[in-house]
Amino acid sequence: MTKDTTNNHQPSSMSDHDMVEIHSKLNIEKHPPTKGFLVAPLVFVFVFGCLIFVCSIQLAHSTNQFQLHPPTDIVVLTEEEKETARLDRKVASGKKVFGLRCASCHQANGLGIQGQYPPLAGSKWVTSDPALISKIILKGLKGEIIVKGEVYGASAAVNMAAVPITDREIANVTTYVRTAWGNAASEITENEVSLFRAESEDQVEQWTGTQLVDMFPSVFSN
Amino acid sequence: MKQNSEQIIDKSLKLTVCFFVASAGLWLLAAALLAYISAAKLTDPFFLSSFEFLSYGKVKIAQANAFVYGWGGNSIFAVTLWVVARLSQAEARGKVIVLFAGFIWNLAITFGLLGILDGHMTPHEMLEMPAEIWPALFISYSIIAFFIIVTHRSRRNSNTIAPQWFLLSSLLWFPMLFLIAWNGLEINPARGTVQSVLSMWFGQSLIWLWLTPVALGAAYYIIPAILGRAIDKYYLAVFGFWCIALLAPWSVVHHLEGGPVPMWIPAIGTVMSIAMIFPIAVASTNFHSTAFLDISKVWNSLPLRFVIFGTLSYTASSYIGVIFSLPAVAKITQFSIINDFHFNQRVYGFFSMIIFGMVYHILPKITGNEIAKGAKSFHFWTSAFGVLILLLAYLIGGLTHGVLAQQPSLNWASSVISSILPYFQITELAFVVLGFSQLVFVVNVWKAIIPNPFAFFTNDDDATNSEVSA
Repeated sequence: MTKDTTNNHQPSSMSDHDMVEIHSKLNIEKHPPTKGFLVAPLVFVFVFGCLIFVCSIQLAHSTNQFQLHPPTDIVVLTEEEKETARLDRKVASGKKVFGLRCASCHQANGLGIQGQYPPLAGSKWVTSDPALISKIILKGLKGEIIVKGEVYGASAAVNMAAVPITDREIANVTTYVRTAWGNAASEITENEVSLFRAESEDQVEQWTGTQLVDMFPSVFSN
Repeated sequence: MKQNSEQIIDKSLKLTVCFFVASAGLWLLAAALLAYISAAKLTDPFFLSSFEFLSYGKVKIAQANAFVYGWGGNSIFAVTLWVVARLSQAEARGKVIVLFAGFIWNLAITFGLLGILDGHMTPHEMLEMPAEIWPALFISYSIIAFFIIVTHRSRRNSNTIAPQWFLLSSLLWFPMLFLIAWNGLEINPARGTVQSVLSMWFGQSLIWLWLTPVALGAAYYIIPAILGRAIDKYYLAVFGFWCIALLAPWSVVHHLEGGPVPMWIPAIGTVMSIAMIFPIAVASTNFHSTAFLDISKVWNSLPLRFVIFGTLSYTASSYIGVIFSLPAVAKITQFSIINDFHFNQRVYGFFSMIIFGMVYHILPKITGNEIAKGAKSFHFWTSAFGVLILLLAYLIGGLTHGVLAQQPSLNWASSVISSILPYFQITELAFVVLGFSQLVFVVNVWKAIIPNPFAFFTNDDDATNSEVSA
């Protein structure tokens, strides 16, 4: 009854009471009675279906499987490239060992100090048989030796018994010195070093120059 | 009978609603002034540069906070108090306590803004006011919200309708957002990426879950109220409501596109932004298919003209927002002034315009003083013009900025900055226009509340008794 009076009073606007009543009723009835079917819901369903499709595609393509970190670009290396990369890492690691343990005497440029510490660059003690350099590092060296025509070792000896160094480190550092400063000798592996360690087990003292020359006649023959 | 009961409700709300509308107006002016200063500093770096407290970083932040919490907060209280009481057909409760809480709210914002200008900001988006004032803001907000809910609980008709859903849920969403963000940022600060995600999520969700639902609820109320017809396709409204509730807090994270966060966060944000087309389509269908049934009436009723401007702006800007959330577009516009476009289209073009309309609808009813039509009309045209050129300048300027910034070969100062400088000058002009427009609004509001400043206290009863039905 009040509804009619207000509507007569203000045909143009809706009172709050009516607004609540009318919309509550609409919410229960869902839609006004119509003939046939309603176009709007169909359009909405179609549009929303398309949107859900687009959203799913987007989600599948850009969430990176909900991983914490972004994907790194997958680089497929050939066997050759893998080998080069491994050798580069090994040499880099050997360079660190060299800087730590060797460079103070043999110098970072591998030239040593004349008359005192023999050079490594271009020395056949380094670049020849893998066993020679490995065994020197394993046990040390004392007494006079001749490197590149000059005599060394009169005043200095290397005592490796005092230096804790693993087979892997030896393999790395020997590989480094055999390839640095113009040297171009083969790589030395960790297994080889283990073998050399086993071979030289009987040697208690440091090697002497003459001992090594006898052990590796082929190196010093010419 | 009914007119009478509506009058009684209006009378019970007069003091609180007038207080909130009046203070909202003052904050609007403060925000307009700060907006002008910050826009002017972009065109002339030496503008007011001798005042350390007016440096760009402080003024810009102070403007956003004054706008959202000062103007937005107060007008939300006014609109929600009035619409909820009217739809509940119940008198407002706790008048004095709400008024007191309103004082605390405004006092806290005043101190908060002074704190920002003094350099005591927190680094969190839209939580920049100093940490000390947040408990005061939160408690005063809770008191006001509590009494609005008490009013709602005493409603005559137990069924609820769309305006009530939107207004009451926004009332509850703000404290929820605030507690989550405040806990994760200040009480138990989250570590690493989570903190910046949370900070950004709060700042954007605040606009989507606090300002937006109030404006939508107001539009759902005022369109049928003035046009005298039910909302067209009203059965969709409930779907639109739940879509906003579910999708909006997810969709905002698309702003992190390309950021140092796990990829799924912006990806979900993009998807949810696309899905936001549902609620946007629903709301605009509801509003516009109702309004365009009787467009001449919309045009002739100034409050409704404001509201329909706001809803049209909501529709257009939200669809533009969806486009800018796509990764391909976001890559270009990410770090450009397009962000100002998003903020201003939401708070000026949509929220404020609807609130202006609501205020013009409410004030004559509760004070009994009509507002001069010419003044309202001037306000509408200057606002519409100001908002349009502001948004166009930010949109075109933002695109230019984004595209040019992608080219490392360009010289930054001479090529990039100089080509967006004209747009900054347009925004400066737009803020001047908007400032005048808002000054007119505030004068209209204050004149309606206190038609004769000296007689207000003595003739209070006369003013309320000479109620005019609109």
